[in-house]
Amino acid sequence: MTGDFVDGFAAGFAEARVRDRARVGTADAFPPEADYGVRVFGAGVSDGCGQAQDDLDRARIVPPVFMPRRLERLIELGREPLPDDVDLESGIGGFASPLPLFLSAFGSTRVGSGDLAVAASRQAGRLGIPMVIGENTVSVHGYRGASGAPSVILSRIRAYLEEAGEGRGGVVVQQSTEDADSEVWNLLYSDPAVQPLLASGRLGFELKVGQGAKPGLGGMTVLTRPEADRLADRFAVRDVLGPGSERVLRCASPGTFTEEIVRQQLHFMRNNYPRARTWIKFHPGRDIAEAAATAWSAGADAVTVDGAEGGTGWAPTAFLDHVGLPLGECLRRIGRPAGDLLVTGRMWEGTRIVRALALGAGAAGLGRAALIAVAEDPERGLVRLAECIALELRLLISALGKYSPSVLGPEDLWWPGSGVHDRQEALTG
Amino acid sequence: MIQTSPTPLAVAGPTPPRPLPLAEHLRSDTLKAAMLVQQEALQATRDLLRGRGFTELLPPLIGPVTDPGGRGAKALDVDYYGQRYRLMTSAILYKQASLRGFGKLFYIAPNVRVEPPETAETGRHLVEFHQIDVEIADGTREDAMRLAADLLKAVVERVWERVPQELVGLGRDRRAFAELLDGPFDRCTHAEAVGRLRALGHPQSPDAEIDWTGEERLSRQAVRPFFVTDYPKGSRGFYDRQDPDRPGVLRNFDLIAHGGFGELVSGSEREADYAAIITRMRESGENPAKYQWYLDMVREGIPASAGFGMGLQRLVRFLTGLDALWQVSAYPKLPGVLAP
Repeated sequence: MTGDFVDGFAAGFAEARVRDRARVGTADAFPPEADYGVRVFGAGVSDGCGQAQDDLDRARIVPPVFMPRRLERLIELGREPLPDDVDLESGIGGFASPLPLFLSAFGSTRVGSGDLAVAASRQAGRLGIPMVIGENTVSVHGYRGASGAPSVILSRIRAYLEEAGEGRGGVVVQQSTEDADSEVWNLLYSDPAVQPLLASGRLGFELKVGQGAKPGLGGMTVLTRPEADRLADRFAVRDVLGPGSERVLRCASPGTFTEEIVRQQLHFMRNNYPRARTWIKFHPGRDIAEAAATAWSAGADAVTVDGAEGGTGWAPTAFLDHVGLPLGECLRRIGRPAGDLLVTGRMWEGTRIVRALALGAGAAGLGRAALIAVAEDPERGLVRLAECIALELRLLISALGKYSPSVLGPEDLWWPGSGVHDRQEALTG
Repeated sequence: MIQTSPTPLAVAGPTPPRPLPLAEHLRSDTLKAAMLVQQEALQATRDLLRGRGFTELLPPLIGPVTDPGGRGAKALDVDYYGQRYRLMTSAILYKQASLRGFGKLFYIAPNVRVEPPETAETGRHLVEFHQIDVEIADGTREDAMRLAADLLKAVVERVWERVPQELVGLGRDRRAFAELLDGPFDRCTHAEAVGRLRALGHPQSPDAEIDWTGEERLSRQAVRPFFVTDYPKGSRGFYDRQDPDRPGVLRNFDLIAHGGFGELVSGSEREADYAAIITRMRESGENPAKYQWYLDMVREGIPASAGFGMGLQRLVRFLTGLDALWQVSAYPKLPGVLAP
C-alpha cells in the first residue's frame, strides 16, 4: 500500500531517506552509530553535483615568468636557488615551527583520544610542530587517569615532550564553555608535569568558540548508558539514536559569545595565564572577519578558523555538508589578517595549504589526515605525511619564485573564469 | 598622587628565604612573635568592626561552587556524597548571600588556592591563607575603601601599643608606619599605575592585573599604603561591578602596602543585577550553570553592596616586616611545595 502511495511523487524524491526516517526517527539525523569513534568524519569534497564545495580548491596556483624574489634569493645564495632553498620555518601563534603545519585538535571520540592520539603527539613532537589538544578531553576522560593510569591529556603531553627538541613547537590546550567546569587550564598551569612547557614558553591555551564540522553547535559524543549516567549531572544527554540503541548522545553547549564576551575572555586568559600563549578557534561563521579582528585586538596570539570542511568528530548529517562558510570564503572575508591566522579543514597535501597561505593564513592544521596517517603507521606515518607535504610546499612555493611561505599572496592564485588576478580583487572577492 | 621616597625605611627583601621544616618552624622565635602580632591584629579587627555594627559569621568551607579566582589559581575538589564540591577559594558568593539577613558582616575566612608554582618565589603567596572578609549592604566603593583604611590604621595602632617589643625584636621600626598613621592614603587609577610602570620601563599590560613585579615596584616607591582603583574588566571576577558610566572599568580597588609588601586588600562594589552577573560570568569564561544556587538567589534579589578581603598573613607580614609570607603562618604551604 505504501508503495502505491509514493508512486505519485516526482522521480528523484528522497523516498528511501524518508523511509529511513519513518523507521528510525531521530537516529537518521546522524551518521550510522556503528561508525562512531572508529571513523573520522567531516565534509566531503564535493556537493554531490561534481562541484568542489570550497572555492579555494578551484583556484589554480599560477607562477609568474618574471621572478624578482628568485633574483633576491640567487644573490643571497650566490647560485641558482632550488626548491630545497625554500625556508619553511614559521612562527605559529608564538611558537617556532620548522613547517607551516600544526597538529589540530581531535576531540574526545575513541579514534581521537586513544593510542592513535598519543602516537600523533609523539610524531608531532618529533617534527617540532605545535600540537593542539582538544576540548572535552578532560571533562570526558578526566585529568588524572583512573587508578593511577596516565590520562589522555597527560599521556599526550608526555609523548610530545619526549620527542620534541629544544625550542621548537608547543602544546596548546583547548577549553570550551563546558570544560570551564573542569578548569582544564588551571589544572595544567599549576601541574609540575607541564612546567617544562611553561619554562620554555611552549604552553598555549586555546579558547574554543566553535568548530567547522558543526558551526553553531557544541561538541557531541556518543556514550554508553552507564557512561552517560556518570556525566549526566554535567552534560545534556539525549536519547536520539533510535529505539534499539544501547547508546545516547551527549550534547555540549557551544557557549554564548558576543563581541564583548570574546574580548573579555581573551583578556581574562592573558591576565590569568601570562606565561601561556593565547589562541582562539572559531567556526566558519558569517561574521568571521569581525570575530577575528576582535580576537587580534584583544591580544590573541593566534586565530584559528576551522572551515566547514573540518572536523574529525561525529556531526549531524545536516551540518556535515550544508552549514557554515567554506574556508576560502572565510579567508576572503578576513582579507589581510591583523595577526597570526591559522586554518584547518581538509588539509593533507600541499596545494590546498599553499592556497590558504596565499590568502593570508600563516599555517595549516592537520586533523583527520594526521589520524589517518598514524593509523597507517603509528611510528612514522605522520612524519612521512608531513615530509611529503613539506616537499610539495617547497616545489610549489619555489615555482612561484618565492622562498618563504610568508611572502605568498593572492597574486599567486587564479580562479578559472573569474579573471581575478589583482591582489585586492582576490582578497575582497 | 602617591607619595614616593627613594629610600624607604624598611622594605621587603628581594629573594625570600625558603621555609624551615615544620617542627623547627613551630618553635622559632620569629613565628612566636608573629603569632602575638597576629592575635593583636585580629583583636583590633574584631573591636573595630563590631564597634561599627558588623556581625562576625563563620564562613563555609566547601560548596558546589566557589570564587573562580584568577591568575591561574585553582580550587581543590572534594567528593561530597558523590558530587564534586569545592574548597573555598574565597567566600565572596556567601558574603553576598548573607546580606539578605546581615547588612554588615565579616568573616575571618580560611581559603585554599592552589596557586601556580611560580608564585612560591613572590614571598606573597600561600596555598592556605586567611582573609578578613567584609561586606556592607548598600555600601559604595568609597565606604569600603574608607573602612579598609580605618581598619589598617586601627591594626597598626593596636600592635604598636600592645606588642611593640615583638615588632622591634623582628627588626621593625615604628617610623616606617608614621606616614601611614599621619594622613589619608593616596590613590591612583589602574591606568595611572600602568602609565607609571611603563615610564619605568616595566612592560605592564593595560588590560591585566598589575603583575607581581610591577606591584612590588610601585609598593617600594611609596611611603604609605595607597589605593589603586578602576581595574579593567577582564582582570577581575564577575562580581566586581562595572562602572555604568565607563564600560570596561570596574568600581573596585586594591590597597597596596608601601615598602615592597604589595597588595593587602582587594575590594569592590558588587554586581547585584541578574542579567549583568550572567553576562559577566560569560565574559570571564564561566559556565553559569554551575552557579545555580547563587543565580537563583540573585534572581530573587540581593542587596547592592561593597566589600573587601584583607589578606591576614599579608597584613601580619607587613606589620612584622618579615621577608616571606610563610614566616607568619604556623603551618605554611608554599605553592608547588608539598608540606605537612
